[in-house]
Amino acid sequence: MPEDRDWEAYKVPPTRTPVSEKTPSVLNPVSFIETVFKYVIDAPVTFVREWIERQQAKNKFYYYHQKFRRVPDLSECLEDDYLCFFEAEAQWKRDRMVDQEIVEIIRERLGACKQREGPNQFQNCAKEAEQLLQVTKAYQDRYGDLGVHGNARTCLMKQKHRMMEERKAQADASQET
Amino acid sequence: MAAMSLLLRAAAVWGARRAASSTRLPWLVGVARLPGTVAPVRHSSSHGKRMFIIKATSFYDTRFLNLLRFYIFLTAIPAALFITYVNIFIGEAELAEIPEGYTPDYWEYYKHPISRWIARYLLDPPEKDYEKEMALLDVEAKKTQLRLMQLEARRLMRQRGDGPWYHYETPDKNLVDNSMKSTPDN
Repeated sequence: MPEDRDWEAYKVPPTRTPVSEKTPSVLNPVSFIETVFKYVIDAPVTFVREWIERQQAKNKFYYYHQKFRRVPDLSECLEDDYLCFFEAEAQWKRDRMVDQEIVEIIRERLGACKQREGPNQFQNCAKEAEQLLQVTKAYQDRYGDLGVHGNARTCLMKQKHRMMEERKAQADASQET
Repeated sequence: MAAMSLLLRAAAVWGARRAASSTRLPWLVGVARLPGTVAPVRHSSSHGKRMFIIKATSFYDTRFLNLLRFYIFLTAIPAALFITYVNIFIGEAELAEIPEGYTPDYWEYYKHPISRWIARYLLDPPEKDYEKEMALLDVEAKKTQLRLMQLEARRLMRQRGDGPWYHYETPDKNLVDNSMKSTPDN
C-alpha cells in the first residue's frame, strides 16, 4: 500500500536554483505546453477527482492495522501440546512477515538515498548501506536457509545450532588463551 | 480454431490488398476481396464480375465468438458497473490508528468496501476460524494419544496376561475323553 506510507521520510532537500525575474521577448514553448497541459488535462482530471472525493467524504470509514496478542513461543511449549505449537507457529509466521517488511523498508531507504544524492551516493549513503548490511545479515542468520518448508520448529533448531556453534567457538577461544 | 480462421482471413485480405495495389485498376485497390475473386469486366461499374466464392464456413466460428462475447459481457458489464459505483461513491477506507479503549470489529481491518462486506457477511471471523482449526487439532491430538495408550495397553495385556484382552476360548476340560490314556496297557 504505497499510498499509505510516510513519504516525509524521503523528502528531497529543496533545490537551490536561482529565481530569474526577467521575462524574455520570445514566448517560451515550455510554458505554453505547461498552460496547455494545465487546461486540457490537469483541470478536468482535478475537477473529477475532487468531485469523487466530495462524494466519498459524505460517509468516511476507517481501517486499522491489527495488533495480535503475544502467545508463548515454541520454546515455551510443552511436549505434545499441539495447540501451543499451532499458536506459536502462527505467531512465528507473522513475525517473519514483519521482518521481511522491515528488510524491504531499509532497502527502499537505501534506494531513496541513492536517488536523492545522485553522484554523491557512495559517500553520503554509507549509513543506510551499513544498516541494510546489518539487517540483511540478521535476517539471513535467523530465517536464512530454512527453505520453503521452513517453520517455527526448523527455525528453533537453526537457532539451537547457532548457539552451539557460538558456545564451541567461545570454548575454543578460552581454551587457546 | 476461430482465431486461426480470423488470422487466415486477415492474411488473405492483406495479400489481396498488396497484390491489387501494384497492378490492378485504381478503383479496385481499396476493396477487400479474397485472391482470385475479382475479374475485370467491361460494362459493370465497379464491381467486376459477380462471383460465387467458395470458402470454408465461418458460421460456427462467428457463432462461437458471438456467444462467448454475450456470455462474458452478461455478467462482466453489471459487475464492472457495480464495482465502479462502489469505488466512486463509497470509496476505500482510510488508515487510522486504533483509538484508545476501542477494539475494532474483525471486518474493519480491510480497506476495500467490498472486501469489508464479504468479511462481514459471508466469511466467519478469523478468531472463529482459528478456534475451528485448533478444535480439529485438539481432536486429532486426543485421538493420537488414545491410540498410543491403546497400543500400550495391548502390549502389556499380551505380556502380562492379566487383562481382559487376549483370552482364547479353550474347550471345557470335562469334554476331554481320557479313555485312551486311562489305562497303561491301551
